[in-house]
Amino acid sequence: MSRQHSPIKLGVELAHDDVAAAVDCAVEAERLGLDLVVVPSTSSGPDGWSLVSWIAGRTDRIGLVAGIDPAQRNLGVLGRASTSLDRLSGGRLTLELHPSPEISPAEALTVLRRMWDTSTRRVRHDGAIKLAGAEPGPLPAHDIRIWMSGDVELAGSTADGWHGRLDDPDQLAQNLQLLRKSAEKADRDPHELERVITLTTWDDVDAMTTLVTEHGVTAFILRIDENSPEGLLERFVQEIAPRLREAGRQAVADGALTPSPVRRAEIRARRVSGIDYDGLPAHLAANAVEPGDALYNSIRSNYLRGGSPGLILRPQSVSDVVDAVAFARRHRHIPLGIRSGGHGVSGRSTNDGGLVIDVGALNDIEVLDRDRRLVRIGPGARWRDVATALQPYGWALGSGDHGGVGVGGLATAGGIGYLSRKHGLTIDHLQSVDMVLADGTTVRAGRSENPELFWAVRGAGANFGIVTSFEFVVDEVSDVGWAQLAFHVSDPEEFLLKFGETVAATPRDTTPFLIMNGSTAHVMAMVASDDPDEILAQLRPIAQIAPLVQQQVVIAPYAAVMNMFPESPHQAFGEPVSRSGLVTSITPGFAAVSARLLDSGAVHWFQLRSMGGAIADVEPDATAFAHRDAAFQITAMGSNAQRVDREWDRLRPYFSGIYTSFEADNSPQRLTEAFPPPTLARLRKLKEQLDPTGLFRDNFPLTDSHSVGSPA
Amino acid sequence: MTDYGHDLMFGTFVTPIAQPVQHAVQQAVLADRLGLDLVTFQDHPYVSRFHDTWTLIPYAAARTERVRLTANVTNLPLRFPAQLARSVATLDRLTGGRIELGLGAGGFWDAIEAMGGRRLRPGEALTALEEGVQIIRGVWDTSTPGGLTVDGKFHAVRGAKRGPAPAHRPSIWIGGYKPRMLRTIGTIADGWLPSAQNLRGGIEDLARGSEIIDEAAESAGRRPQDVRRLLNLTGDFDDTSRGFLQGPPDQWVEELTDLALTYGTSVFILFSDDPGMTEMFAKEVAPAVRDEVRKARGTTS
Repeated sequence: MSRQHSPIKLGVELAHDDVAAAVDCAVEAERLGLDLVVVPSTSSGPDGWSLVSWIAGRTDRIGLVAGIDPAQRNLGVLGRASTSLDRLSGGRLTLELHPSPEISPAEALTVLRRMWDTSTRRVRHDGAIKLAGAEPGPLPAHDIRIWMSGDVELAGSTADGWHGRLDDPDQLAQNLQLLRKSAEKADRDPHELERVITLTTWDDVDAMTTLVTEHGVTAFILRIDENSPEGLLERFVQEIAPRLREAGRQAVADGALTPSPVRRAEIRARRVSGIDYDGLPAHLAANAVEPGDALYNSIRSNYLRGGSPGLILRPQSVSDVVDAVAFARRHRHIPLGIRSGGHGVSGRSTNDGGLVIDVGALNDIEVLDRDRRLVRIGPGARWRDVATALQPYGWALGSGDHGGVGVGGLATAGGIGYLSRKHGLTIDHLQSVDMVLADGTTVRAGRSENPELFWAVRGAGANFGIVTSFEFVVDEVSDVGWAQLAFHVSDPEEFLLKFGETVAATPRDTTPFLIMNGSTAHVMAMVASDDPDEILAQLRPIAQIAPLVQQQVVIAPYAAVMNMFPESPHQAFGEPVSRSGLVTSITPGFAAVSARLLDSGAVHWFQLRSMGGAIADVEPDATAFAHRDAAFQITAMGSNAQRVDREWDRLRPYFSGIYTSFEADNSPQRLTEAFPPPTLARLRKLKEQLDPTGLFRDNFPLTDSHSVGSPA
Repeated sequence: MTDYGHDLMFGTFVTPIAQPVQHAVQQAVLADRLGLDLVTFQDHPYVSRFHDTWTLIPYAAARTERVRLTANVTNLPLRFPAQLARSVATLDRLTGGRIELGLGAGGFWDAIEAMGGRRLRPGEALTALEEGVQIIRGVWDTSTPGGLTVDGKFHAVRGAKRGPAPAHRPSIWIGGYKPRMLRTIGTIADGWLPSAQNLRGGIEDLARGSEIIDEAAESAGRRPQDVRRLLNLTGDFDDTSRGFLQGPPDQWVEELTDLALTYGTSVFILFSDDPGMTEMFAKEVAPAVRDEVRKARGTTS
């Protein structure tokens, strides 16, 4: 049982002239478990910003407070610099604006927040600070809080915190009262503000605990310099830190303090009713994002689906995931999306007004056993990062066709990629998973441990819990042949037939994907060989299907193909209209109806992924992904669901099943196409055991009665 | 044609992209591990997809042990000189003397103005640069008693407290191409830092530029070798030769050795965000160029 969270933060303020001594003190503070290191700004001597940036590189966890004199810097550049430091340090930065005769801290605060707001394209400001169309961004790693020292009324009405001194207790008490009044006068909740007190020594600890319980002080900072007595920091940590933290817990229990600072009023106004925001455990609250937060617009939507979730939880550890699932159990009345990379075409990882559990932070990639090529990968890792991490070993693990896809969603559904014909589906490499189940228990599933769950995770994982790590045996993969061919297509029907025949005769080293678009067809093909002659020999029959209008063949690392698309934020709008079908061969009938669909203009994306080869080496009942006889996976996307379905329904008779990852239609009928009857019966039985009430219900739910899903 | 006899340095020119967050830091760590002498980052504070360079440098410096770091080159119009001097000195102390100062007068005036910088004409920008250098050196100079006063037209300080003193004397390397700028470099700078790709007249521009710098240095009572000749380079490793620095490592060695001996270039900074290329440069090119230049100098001097 972890110790109950205290809202009190404890820190050290570095007042040293000797920068090396200051750094030692910061490192020591982190070692001693303090929460903050404060680097004040001074008008001469060492530069605080450089020092705090260096400390960021020498520490891992401790919060960083950078003192700023607004007149000493270009504020636009400071906005950018703050973002950089916040991102480099993993979201650890707080700014403290010092009083300045030239530039009001309130104006600086406004300009800084606007430099971090990427919902506008340009920032213009005409005051003591001038910006004439500066580019805002990039987005900080978290909401950077801005404290002020000095003018207590200004802080009360505008800032996220006020930093004062303990020198004169009566004056301090007056100031804290003034702070509360000015906050209330500005229609703010006084709990939005942190109250931070610096001290150089202490004699009356009771007076300090009173500051917490009576005045809502949230942080105590011990000021240290070269002349501070030996061992002062240790004594602070041992003697008074526990009492201050306990006072904080007491103040929360009494309602005098909130567990963490309350969001600003304009953000709280955007909360969704029915979500117990204030009941979130503090460690989850620390990384949660809600409407109105700076980060919200960058993560509300996924790759193809626009979303407006009411709360996005971003667990940083397995125990965070357990708590997030517990929170979800209390919120069954709203949708629940589980997100790893947010790239899923089916769009299930966001929703409107619901909860999203985003496991993107669980993204470690670790080689466990070099001889066995056993690798442990977190669900939040992206496939491009997996490819990049495995490349130095001469290894690869096939995924899909885009490096921006996250591991978790794909590795619980299938994974039909460029290495699939040679090495099988991604799930075929899985040795075990660690999962959090609906009831909050953590389990490991593998061939000998929870084998039924292990079977189910490989194709229907989204129904059973949240995977927190995967162990894969990966393949030895040399550089590969990578071809991009473009054809002129005069007769799509004939082209499809020929493509089907050619792929059937192509060795399993080669996995071609086909995209048809009007009179042009694009083939992207990977040949798992670094022998130029072999590569060309395997590609030649494909290249002869129709007249080539463009061709490029290179030998490159697998990782280079996965890194082909740069990372870009997901900012989709609306609902994706994507349909999936699996065929065991391309028959004349299928080709003819497909040609009609292409001609209809109802779809703007029509892709065939070749399957077979190693995929078909696995028995249909070995994994919950059962369609081992499929020769191609077909995806069609359009903008109008009715138009797409009118054409797509004509193709359905040819399908032997669907692949869940590319199917955005969540009607119950699709479930029976995703899982053949014996598979479905087995999955339902297990669902009844592990998630009888249907907590995981937004991604091909196996329990009909609970399939509230998301608004279609 | 001069070899100024400086020890050679090899470094990289890294794009400070903000995403992936640690990309630029990893390039610095790699350069450090490979034994390169220098890591440099562009400084374009108006570009939102880049990290702030003078934030990235301290962070990357904290994660490296030996390599020197600098901006290539610092955008002076958006940095306050006294503040920049304190920043460099602070870092120089933290790193034990691993920070240098690449400086530029600024070029993209629309973007600079958008960020709140003052739009200057080329001549004004040069004056501002000269004033900036005077302030920076003045802040570093703690041996002169009293406050620092520089009554410049664009940058001014009145009675400013000096210090901190850097751990070593950071070199001020200035980028630029036009004759007036080159004369300023010869008069005040510790190095000339052009990019090969911006030399409109090709590599021969190095000789023409150095001539102006040498003259200016001498008329300012300095020696030409007081101004290092640095060069930002683009290149590609390839099995067959396709042009200048586009070919096998042997060809690179030959071409860089020639730059050192003929044009006096002593600091070679390669544009590289690619670990493979950086490694090849550090392992296959740098030691061999050092050997060749040492041999050539040994026989001629």
